[in-house]
Amino acid sequence: MMYYIKLGGILLIICVIATGILAYVNSVTEPKIIALKAAEAVKSREALIPGADFEEVKVSDDFSYFIAYKKGSKELLGYTFTAGKTGYSSKVLTMAGLDPQFNIINIKVIDQAETPGLGANCTAPSFSDQFKGKTQEQMLVDKDGGPIKSLSGATITTRAIANSLMEQIQVLKKDVDSHLRGNDTEIGNDVTLAKDKQEVGQ
Amino acid sequence: MGYIGEIFVMAMTALFIQNFVLSRFLGLCPYLGVSKKIDSAFGMGMAVIFVMTLTSSITYLINRYLLANFMYLQTIAFILTIAALVQFVEMVIQKNAPALYKSLGVYLPLITTNCAVLGVAIINTKAFRSDGVTAYNFLDSTLNGFFTGLGFTVVLLAMAGIRQRLELVELPKSMKGMPIALILAGIMALAFYGFMGFKI
Amino acid sequence: MKLLSEVTKGIIKENPIFVIVLGMCPTLAVSTSVDNALGMGAAATFVLICSNMIISLIKGIVPSSIRIPIYIVVIAAFVSIVDMSMAAFLPDLHKALGLFIPLIVVNCIILGRAEAYASKNNVINSMADGLGMGLGFTLSLVIVATIREILGSGTWLKMQVMPSSYEPMLVAILAPGAFITLGFLMALMNMMKEKK
Repeated sequence: MMYYIKLGGILLIICVIATGILAYVNSVTEPKIIALKAAEAVKSREALIPGADFEEVKVSDDFSYFIAYKKGSKELLGYTFTAGKTGYSSKVLTMAGLDPQFNIINIKVIDQAETPGLGANCTAPSFSDQFKGKTQEQMLVDKDGGPIKSLSGATITTRAIANSLMEQIQVLKKDVDSHLRGNDTEIGNDVTLAKDKQEVGQ
Repeated sequence: MGYIGEIFVMAMTALFIQNFVLSRFLGLCPYLGVSKKIDSAFGMGMAVIFVMTLTSSITYLINRYLLANFMYLQTIAFILTIAALVQFVEMVIQKNAPALYKSLGVYLPLITTNCAVLGVAIINTKAFRSDGVTAYNFLDSTLNGFFTGLGFTVVLLAMAGIRQRLELVELPKSMKGMPIALILAGIMALAFYGFMGFKI
Repeated sequence: MKLLSEVTKGIIKENPIFVIVLGMCPTLAVSTSVDNALGMGAAATFVLICSNMIISLIKGIVPSSIRIPIYIVVIAAFVSIVDMSMAAFLPDLHKALGLFIPLIVVNCIILGRAEAYASKNNVINSMADGLGMGLGFTLSLVIVATIREILGSGTWLKMQVMPSSYEPMLVAILAPGAFITLGFLMALMNMMKEKK
C-alpha cells in the first residue's frame, strides 16, 4: 500500500511543479495574446472603414458590432461586425464593413483553416472583392440562386461566408432599428445626417 | 436538421469526408505499423475505438468542468487521461483476452501516443454542429470519438487487406515495407478525396 | 569528440523519420511549406532538448513503474510552454501549425528518445542527443516540405521559384501528395542504404 502511495505522491509532486511553471508562463503570455488579438481586430476594422472612430454595441453574449463615426465628428460612416460559420474544416470568421444603408463596403476573412489551394483562397482579394456593394439579400452563393460566385472546388467555404454574413447583417439591422425606434436620438440623428449627405450627392 | 441527421453527418464526416488518417494525418504510426495483418489490425482497431470513445467522453467532462479557467493545462490533463485509460484497457485485455494481448504486443501501450486519440479529444473541444454555431455537447463528443475510431479502423483494415496481398507480389527491394505502404496510403487518400465536398 | 557524434548521429545515421520511422503525423501534415516545416522542427527540437535534459536530471528519483506517465507530464509541460509562447510571440506560425503544436506531446520521437536515451545517459549527452534528433527531424521535414512546396505552390520559403507559367500541382500540398512524396523519399533512402 505504502508503495502505491509513494508512487502516486511522486507523480503528484511532478504534476504540481509542472502546473506551477505553466501557470507562470500563462500569466506572462496571456495578456500578450489578448492584446495581440485586440490590436489585430482594430487593424482590420480600420482597413474596412478608414478614418473612423469605433463604438462598440453589444447585442448578446456572442455578438457585438461597431458603429463607425467619422473621426472627430458624429457623422455615421457605417458599421463593422464579425460573422462566423463552420466551413469545410474550420470556422470561417469574416469581418465586414457596412455603409449606413447596410450595404457591404468590403469584407475580410480574418480566420480560417480551410483546404489550402481551395477554400483557403477565400482570403484573396479576387474573391472578397465581389462582395463590395452587395446587399444583405444578395448574400447567397450561385448554387443557392444568388450572385456570389463560389470558389472553384470550395462551395462549402463560400456558402459559409455568405450565409454567416446574411444572418449577422439581419441581426445588426434589427438592433440598429430597435435603437432608432427606442428613441436613441444620437444614432437617429446621425443616420439622418448621413442620408442627407447622400442625397446632396456627397 | 434533427438529431439523427446530425449523427449521420458526424459519421459520414469521420468515416469518409474527413477521415482522420487519410485527410488529417492523425494515427499514422499504428496505421503504418500494425496494418500488415488483418487480425492484428482488427484487434488494434477495436482497442482504438474503445479508447477513443471513452477518452472523448471523459475529456469533454474535464474540459467543461475542470479546465474553464485553466485552458493552458488542457494538453497535460488530456494526455494524462489518455495514458490512464490505455493503462486500464491494457489490464482489462490482459485479463480477459490474453491471446489478443499477446498479438497486440507493444502496440497497445502505444495507443497512448497515437496522435489520433489526443487529436480527437482536442478536435471535439473545437467542433461545431452542421449549423456552424452549436458546439459539441457530451453526447456529440462521445459519438464523434466512436465514429472517428470506426473511421480509423475501416482504413486500417483496408490497408491490411491490401498489404497482406502485397506480400505475395514481386516488389523492387527499396520499395518493400514502408515506402510501398506510404504510396498505398497516398492512393487511398486520393480515392477518399472524392468524398470531399459532400454536402449532406 | 564524443559529444559532437551524439549530435550528428541524429541527423543521418539514426534520422528519426527516415531511419527509425517515428514522428510521421506531423511530417505529413506540416510539410506543406518550408517555413511551417522549420517552425515545427524548431518547436520539436526545443521540446526534445528540454525534456531530455529534465528527464536525465530526474532519472535517479523516478520509479520505473510510473516512468512513462512522468515523462509524459514533463514533455506535455514543455509543449504547453511552446504553445503559449508561440501564440504570444509568433501568432502566424501558431495559426499555421494549429492542432499539431499540442500534438508534439505524442510525437513518438520525443517519448522514444526519453525512454531510449535520456533515462540512461547523463544530462549533457542527453541534451546533445535531443539536439541531434531535433535537427534530423527538422532536416527531414524541410526536405519533404521543399518537394511539396515547389511542386504544389511553385515557391520555396514563400519566394517564387518556378516560372510563372508553372501550373502548381495542387495534389502535392494535399493529403495524397504527402504520402506519395514521403513514400518515394523513403524508397530513395533504402536504395542509398543498399548501395553502401
